[in-house]
This record gives sequence, C-alpha cells and structure tokens, in this order.
Amino acid sequence: MSLVNFTTREITCKIVYYGPGRSGKTTNLQYIYTQVPDDRKGRMVSLATQTDRTLFFDFLPIDLGSISGFTTKFQLYTVPGQVYYNATRKLVLQGADGVVFVADSQLRQLDENIESLQNLQANVLEHGIDVRTLPMVVQFNKQDLPRELILSPEELDDALNFRGHPTFPADALHGTGVFETLKAISAEVLRKLSEGAGAARRG
Amino acid sequence: MSTTVVETWTEEPLVRYVAQASARIVVVMTPAGQVLAQHGFTRAVDLMGASALGAAIMASSTALAQQVGETGFGALYHSGQKHGIHLAACQTPRGTLVVLTVFGKETSIGLVQLFHEEFVTALQRAAPVDQERKPILAADFESELNKSLTSLFRR
Repeated sequence: MSLVNFTTREITCKIVYYGPGRSGKTTNLQYIYTQVPDDRKGRMVSLATQTDRTLFFDFLPIDLGSISGFTTKFQLYTVPGQVYYNATRKLVLQGADGVVFVADSQLRQLDENIESLQNLQANVLEHGIDVRTLPMVVQFNKQDLPRELILSPEELDDALNFRGHPTFPADALHGTGVFETLKAISAEVLRKLSEGAGAARRG
Repeated sequence: MSTTVVETWTEEPLVRYVAQASARIVVVMTPAGQVLAQHGFTRAVDLMGASALGAAIMASSTALAQQVGETGFGALYHSGQKHGIHLAACQTPRGTLVVLTVFGKETSIGLVQLFHEEFVTALQRAAPVDQERKPILAADFESELNKSLTSLFRR
C-alpha cells in the first residue's frame, strides 16, 4: 500500500498494469519510458524471456513532482499475462494501490480478457482486498487495428466493465490513450489516499 | 553516502548497522517493495528499482520454498566479483520487513550476518505497534496532479 513520509513529505504508490498476454501492458510502460524526461524516471527493469515475453514483471519508477506539498512517486509494474504465470502475477499484485486493466480489443481475444479479469478478482481477493475497493481503470488497447477485427469501446465496455470503471480507448504502440490512462489511475489512487483509506497502512 | 529514512524509528538501527557491517548499500522495505529506510542511494528512482527487485527475489524465493514444503528461506546470499548481496526478511511489530544489504571486499558475509541479526533485534525493539492515520492530500489535489502529469509528458 501507499507509503507516506510525513517528515520529508513524500508519497510512493504502486500501480500494476494487468491483463491477458500480448494485450500491451509492457508497451504502455515502454511508451511512458520514452516520453518522461530522464530526471523524472529511473531505469526500466524488464524481467522477460528470450522472446521478450514478460516472465516476472516490468518495472518503471517515475517522479510525478509535488502534489499538495508531497513529492509523489509512482512505481509502475506489469504482470506476465500468460495463463500459466499466475503465481508471479499474485506476487506482483501484492501491495498494489491501483490497477490498470489493459484489455485487448480484438474480437478473438474477448474470452481471454474476461478470464484475465476473473483472475484479477481472484488474486486480489487472495491478498484480502475486495476488488470493488481497489482503484482501477480499464484501457481498450489496439483500437488502431482494422474495424472488422476489433470490438468498439462501447461493445468492450458492455462486455468487460460491469463495475463502471473509467475506460480509455488506446493504441499503446503509438501512445494514444497511454497518458490519459496513467492520469486517470493516478487520480483514482490519490483520491483514495486523500480520503485516508490508504494512509499509513502496513506494507 | 546518503542515508534517508521514511519512518524515523528505523534511522538509529540503520546507521549503526551500516557502520558495524561496513555495508555499502542497505535498503529496509516492505514485502511489496516500499522503502522505509536506505543507505547508499542518491537518486530515489534508482532506489525504487533496487527495492522492487529485492522484494521480487524475496517473494519468489518464499513462494518456491512453500512449494518444497518450507515456510520460507531465512536469508539469501550471492557473491560477485566486487560485491556480495544479503537479503533476508524479518518480523517486526510494523509487519514483515525485507532487508537488502550490499557489501564489498572491506567486509565479509560473516560480519554482515552477525550484525544483521543485531540490526533485526534493534528494528523489532524500535518498531511502533501501530501508526496514526492522518489526512494526506488537499481536496483540490487534482489540479496539481494535472499540472505535474502535463509537465511529466511535456504536453
């Protein structure tokens, strides 16, 4: 959970990009990495297989600057999307302050999206957290693909977003929607923090 | 070398441990990789990378231990050409903490292990049982968040 240092007035939050395999979680972080100035980011760590599939996680620390007098830092993680890496997904989810669910907009990936959402709910519950209380936004990625291959944001919203989370159409490869998604989850996480729900919790 | 602490009760035990064990880097973190105190890093974003990896090693080795019927491994030690790392979890009233120690040729794994035990005892004595929750952000934090993100992405 968020760590708040009242002496040095610093906040550190953990955001996890979740979703099925090849939905574009790592691409989101890679785009963010290319856009953020060097003095506001750390090294991007990718624990990946030889074929660049995420094995454990990707990690990118960014410095958001001062918000309400607090220096605010975000730790961005991705999980491996492939079904058989569930043990590592659970480890990465530990202590998450917010989740970005990156859905693959392709029609043929709809079942994988639903399975991944159910898996997220089960894994969050195993950490003793009610998924309804966890700040979350949903990104409909790959909206740049030909219309006949994908579902529209409205169709995806109907199929996946039964909790009414903020949603964002995106083309993470070219950056469309990446910034908006990060902005929305940052606001959701900090809003919860401002309500006092996440403050000074045990890690 | 800089020492920074997020929770002040960690400072005295940390400073003593660094001096006694001649450690180059020490990071005290939660199992989720949130840093409570550190010695040796100057850039916060570099520190976060090390703590994420330390927490991940600890989490994955604990999961592996459970698969072979152990509750967890006490400590991990790796030796390199110039540096060694020692990674261990401990229970405190503040919850489970993970300590990552990086050391050079000026000391040894034996000394690190010896003083690590004392460090854990000191942390257990100093840790507060519970912490008061305080209001964090002003109600209008979102306008500042928007400004920060806009400057971050230069748009």
